Formats: sequence, structure tokens, C-alpha cells
Amino acid sequence: MGVYVSLLVRRYLTTRIIPLIAVGAVALCVALVTVVVSVMSGFLENLRNSGRTLMGDVVVSYPVQGIPWYEDLIADIERLPGAEAATPLVDTYGLVRMPYPDGGNKDVVTAQVWAIEPDSFARVTEFDRTIWWKPADAAQALAMAPDDPRRTLTGKEYGNAKAMRDADTGAPGALLGMHVSVVNQRQRDGSYRPRVDRWWMPSHEVTVTLVPISEKGQVSQSNSRVFKVVNEVMSGVFQVDRNRIFIPLKDGQELLRLDEAPVVDTDAEPDAQGNLPVIGTSPARATQVLVRAKPGVTPRELRDQVTEAYAAFWGRKAADRSVRVRPPAPDYVTVQTWEERLRDIIAPVERERQMMRILFSLTYLVCAGLILAIFWSIVSEKTRDVGILRAVGAGRLGVLRIFLAYGLVIGAVGSLAGAGLGWLIIRNINDIHMALGEDAPAWSWIAAYLLAALAGTMALRALVASRVLATLLHSVAALVLAGIGTGLYLHQGFLMWDPAVYYFATIPSQMDWTNAVVTCIGATVFSVLGAAVPAARAADIDPVRALRYE
Amino acid sequence: MTSSGHQPHAPAAPVAGGPILEARDVHRTYRLGRVEVPVLKGASIAVHPGEWVSILGSSGSGKSTLLHILGGLDRADRGHVAFRGEEIVGYSPRRLDRYRNDHVGFVFQFYHLLPELTVLENAMLPATVGVGMIEWSRRRHEVRERARALLDRLGLSHRFRHRPAELSGGERQRVAIARALMRNPEVLLADEPTGNLDARSGESLLEVIAEQHRAGLAVVMVTHDQWVAARADRTVHLADGRVA
Ligand SMILES: Nc1ncnc2c1ncn2[C@@H]1O[C@H](COP(=O)(O)OP(=O)(O)OP(=O)(O)O)[C@@H](O)[C@H]1O
Ligand SMILES: [Mg+2]
Repeated sequence: MGVYVSLLVRRYLTTRIIPLIAVGAVALCVALVTVVVSVMSGFLENLRNSGRTLMGDVVVSYPVQGIPWYEDLIADIERLPGAEAATPLVDTYGLVRMPYPDGGNKDVVTAQVWAIEPDSFARVTEFDRTIWWKPADAAQALAMAPDDPRRTLTGKEYGNAKAMRDADTGAPGALLGMHVSVVNQRQRDGSYRPRVDRWWMPSHEVTVTLVPISEKGQVSQSNSRVFKVVNEVMSGVFQVDRNRIFIPLKDGQELLRLDEAPVVDTDAEPDAQGNLPVIGTSPARATQVLVRAKPGVTPRELRDQVTEAYAAFWGRKAADRSVRVRPPAPDYVTVQTWEERLRDIIAPVERERQMMRILFSLTYLVCAGLILAIFWSIVSEKTRDVGILRAVGAGRLGVLRIFLAYGLVIGAVGSLAGAGLGWLIIRNINDIHMALGEDAPAWSWIAAYLLAALAGTMALRALVASRVLATLLHSVAALVLAGIGTGLYLHQGFLMWDPAVYYFATIPSQMDWTNAVVTCIGATVFSVLGAAVPAARAADIDPVRALRYE
Repeated sequence: MTSSGHQPHAPAAPVAGGPILEARDVHRTYRLGRVEVPVLKGASIAVHPGEWVSILGSSGSGKSTLLHILGGLDRADRGHVAFRGEEIVGYSPRRLDRYRNDHVGFVFQFYHLLPELTVLENAMLPATVGVGMIEWSRRRHEVRERARALLDRLGLSHRFRHRPAELSGGERQRVAIARALMRNPEVLLADEPTGNLDARSGESLLEVIAEQHRAGLAVVMVTHDQWVAARADRTVHLADGRVA
């Protein structure tokens, strides 16, 4: 390959404006794809991680009635080769009476109530990590804002959270999702402050009301209990943080009457006090058992093991004549991986990402078309140069290479710039989003109007000097700037990423590098393809004609 | 003059006393839509080593066409073109490219420099053709030196970094000559090199060509100026598609 190829490519690139426009256009396309797909990938990734964070790998569930003898089941499961730990859970919906506002008429909210055993629950999920009010160590404190309440915590709240009990009074403790209380306000750095210091939740109590449902499916007398708010949790999944509260397993079982209870013989005659004779005990129940897989064991493998374990557990209990209360038959119990449980959420997102990828492959075509158009005009303009090159001995192949290499460089430089731009946007996407969410500062629209006025004056001056292009360009600039100014002036903070819609409190800000690399390669390849047609045309130019071309 | 030493497989068998470049009975017809325009109808010309031949002829008589055919830029429809006695009509496109690069140098009426390259780069251009990166890294110094020396001799030493657009017509044409001489060709093919220059620049350019001719370069120069043609050893007339 001739050295003149690289020499000319270099010169064509550095002495003209059009290739820069092409580079910019390719960069914008690549940045767009990179940002959109990265956000979607991050979103999926968050969903995936949240599954494990929230519910471990595999869930055994039998809602409402619950599974009796769940301790035996858990012991069985924990002996499985693939299981790391298992924990019982009672989940239901209930009413939570909040401590605010002042006066007798308090706020009451509905919430998803999870009654848990904090120790084992923390072994199966990442519960511990989601507890928010922990004392900060020195390094963390450095990164925190000066008014972050976590800087001054003693560790009492954290200790209470892990025990789910107020260490001073012995009262049962509840943990609230961070967004359950309307008092908590998210800051730009992602931390939280109570709107009013007095309403910092861990110094208050809530009343939880649960409604037990009888074996016949009827609602019976509701039960209420007061809990000390010992801490708050922040899982990052908005739906959870908005709706969920945690109470100790035993309290949940008692409130729902799923605790151990005597079984009476309803056919017998009541005794003198009106009590029926006790003929046994009904064991406590859990509506779910969450299981965590050992490292290297996939959720699916674990699910199959757990399914078998449940069948064996049931078979054993059913065969045991001394057992009066049988666990539900395996057919009625669902054993699912977290992915299956979240499928309703994950599947559409996955499809959407796939669709985005397909839709955005169109940007490759845009790149190719753009380069084709630009190169077509460059080749027309360079016809004579092609003749000159042929006259000094360059072959058709060399001419072809010049324009192909030109396209390659534009595609590659544009792709790299685009990936860099995308990376910058993604890294700062939450800040950008926050800035969009606030009203535009006054200086921004005043500056835009001033610039518009300046451009207008220039347009007038150009008009007086009867320079047509300058008049036109300055008028357009004035209009655009005035438009931007008006837009900024009217701009009301608008947040596109509504956490209530997108599950997570923050926009994923992880760069999807695989996708970025694929996009860069695609854009480069298509740039070269776009350059190929004009390059072939250039190679076909008859040098004699080209030299006559004046 | 240092020999360029290319053409390893070409049997370098110049017929003693024979022409270095020769066209015999060359025909060339252009087609404009359905109209056929016969331009050359059996033109013949022989150029001997170190000889300066002028081709005179009226506008449209086919002078440029003949020159392009001699330089391997255009192909004859019929007839023979031989360089050092070897037929170039049958050359593959690649060999023809090499031939233009190695053995002939073109100079055109309208300079035809590449506007994006500097004067020095324009002069070096033929030496960058067909040279790979590795070879280039070894030879770039030598090539640059040769281009500098050529431009120096043509009085352009202070213009190396300029773009063609910043030069006068006479200066541009000298850059074109430097480019034509870069690969040390045997024949210079000049198509009205003074056609676009004023009398003084034209005269000084002819002096430059004359100097190369004295050093042994064969020159074929197209012109329709009798006084310019008179500088040559020999003048031929092209009329009615034939050389008289
Ligand atoms: N590519 C082409 N297609 C059609 N006709 C052509 C083409 N090139 C040249 N001609 C015609 O061939 C004839 C000879 O052209 P040529 O350029 O060789 O003449 P010339 O003697 O160099 O003229 P001038 O002195 O004006 O440069 C002209 O009539 C021209 O119109
Ligand atoms: Mg001509």
C-alpha cells in the first residue's frame, strides 16, 4: 500500500470541515446507542441483582395458609448440596399507622408486611446491606455530606435492626422501607434526610394491623400491635422501598394466627368453663421459605433440588400417622427461582432491550448513508485529484484505498469519540437528570436571550453590508438562541425517570462495554461500507477525463 | 544522474540508437453518445534518448491525446506504443501504473497540483506511490532530501511549507516540474507547460526544461506557440490525426 494513501487521508481529514461533521454525526449515533442500551442493560442488571438482594435464589411459597413444620423443611433444605441457607417468612398485606402528623388523626398506609427471622433472613438475602441507618466508618463519612444524619449515629439503630427489638425497652421492632414514610427526602447524592428532624423515623412507633384469614378463606378479627421503628431499609427497588415493612416473624405469625396453637376437639362437649378439650397442637406456619444457593450453584439447579426436598418432606409428613396437620401437597406449593418470580417484570424489559438493539441498528444505516452522501460529494470534488494521482502512477486500487481508509478513520474516530461521550453521559446521568429536573437557572435563559440579541445585531449588520449568507446564518442563530432562551425560561423541572415507573430510585449508570464495543465496530464497518460506493466510483474515474475536468 | 533502477523483470534491451519512446500508427476515437470522433488516425512519432521534440498543432488536433497515450494514461485503440523498444499497449493496468511512475513525468497546462498538500509533499508525491510503510520509513529521508534539492534548483527553497494556492502560476508550474522529475524519468511529457504563464515566467520555465534536457532528459512538449516550439531539437506537426 502506498504511503500516499495515508498522507492524503491525513490531509483530507485535517484540512476540511465536512469530515469533521461526519465524525460528529457518527459520534452522536454511537453515543446515543451506547447510552440507551447501557441504561437498559443496567436496568436489567439491577433487576437481576435485586432479585437476590430481596429474596435469595429460590422461593418456596404457599400463601395465606402457610406451610406447617417449616422448621423441618428448612432443616431438610439446608442439608441439600446446593443450598447455603434458608429462612422462613410470613408475607401479607396490612395497615400501618404512621406517627405523623401531630394530633389524633394519623396517617394510615397499606403496606406489604414481611415477618422475618432477622439472622437467617440476612444469610439468605442481602438484608444487612439494605439497612440504612448504620454508623459510618471514617472512609464512608468522608464521602458523606456534612449534614448526613449517618455521621452521628452510634450504632444503636443498627444493633436494634439486627435484633428487630428495641434494646432499651425490649419492644418488638419494625423496619420500614425508606419511602414508606413521606417524611424522608432523597438528596442529590442519594442519601436521605427527614424533612423535619423531629420525624426521623427511628425515634417513633408505628401500629401494624394485620387481618388473619381462616382456613375457610374468611376474614376474621383483625389484630394490631405497636412496633418501635428500629431502622429503615433501602433496597434500591422503588416498589419495595415504597411498600414494604419488616416485623419479627413471631409477631407476624401471632397477628395472623399462624403461630403454634392448641387444637381442640370441636365435636366434644365443652367443659365447665366452656372450653373444648385440647387434642394436640397446630404448628406455626410460614408462607414462604427463601433459599440461597451455594456459590457456583445456579438458581435452577437449586430449584430442582428444593422441589425434590419438598416432595420428600411432604411424603414423610403424610406417612407419619402421629402428624395431624399435614403440609400442603407438592402440587399446590410453588418452588421458583427469583427470576421466575420476577418474570413478569424482567421479560418485557428484556424484549424492550432487544427491540432497542434492533431499532438502533438503524443508526448504523444512518452512519452508512451519511458517509455515503458526504463521500459522494467529496469524490465529485476530488475528481481532478484522482486524475493527478493516476498520472503520477497511482493505481485504481490505491485510489479505492484512499477513500476506504478515509471512511475507516472517520468511522473509527467517530466511534471512539461517541463511546467516550456516551461514557461521560452515563457516568453523570443522574446528575444530568437531576439538573433537568430543576427549573433552569435565571442566568441560563438571560444568557441565551443576550446571545440571541447579539446574533440579531450581527444579522442586521450583515444585512446592511448586503452579505446574504451571513445575514441568513445570523438570523437563524438569533432565532435558535431565542427559542432556547424561551425553552429554558418556560422549563419546569421535569423528571423523566419516575422511580414509581422504573422500580429503581436512580438511573443505572453502568457502561455496557460489550455493547459499546459492538456498536463501535458496527458503526466503523458501516462507515467503511458507506465509503465503499463513492470510493469505487473514484477508482473508476478515467484519469484522462479527470485531468480535462476543470 | 543516478539510475532509478526499477523494472527488475523488464528486459532492459534498448536498441542501440533506437528511440526511447515511440508511437506507430496510433488510432484513437472518442465516442460522444452515438457520434464517433476520430482524433488520431495513424499518428506516429519517435523520441530518441535525450531528444527534445515539440508537437505543434491546432486546438483539438489531438496533441494532448497523443501525449496521454505516450505516457500510458490513455490507451490507443489501434497501433503500437513502445518504450525502449518494448510494447506498452499490452501492459497490465498495474504495469502501466508502474510505467507512469517510473519512466515518464507529466507536466500539464493547469499545473494540477494537489491543493491539500504542501509544495514539498506535492513534489514528493510520485515517490510515495507504490512504497509500503516499512520501505518508506527507511527511505523517507532520502526522498525528502531529493525533493528539497529539486525544489532548491528550481528556486523554490523558501516555499516548501506553502500550499499551491499561495504560489504564482510560474512557481506552481515549477513545483509540477519538480514532481515530474522526482522519480528520475527518462522522458518528460509536457502539455503546454507555458500555456498559462506570462512571457517572463514562460521563458524561465523553458530554461528549467532546457537545463534538464541538457542533462540528458528526453522531452516531448505540446504547444501551439511556434516560438516555444523552436526551443526543441525537432518540431513535428499534428494535423488531421497524423503527424507530419
Ligand atoms: N474524453 C473525451 N471524450 C470525447 N471527446 C474527447 C475526449 N477527449 C478529447 N476529446 C476530443 O478529442 C479531440 C482532441 O482533443 P485533445 O485534447 O487531444 O486536443 P488538443 O490538440 O490537445 O487541443 P488543445 O490544443 O485545445 O489542448 C477534441 O476534439 C476533443 O473534444
Ligand atoms: Mg491539449
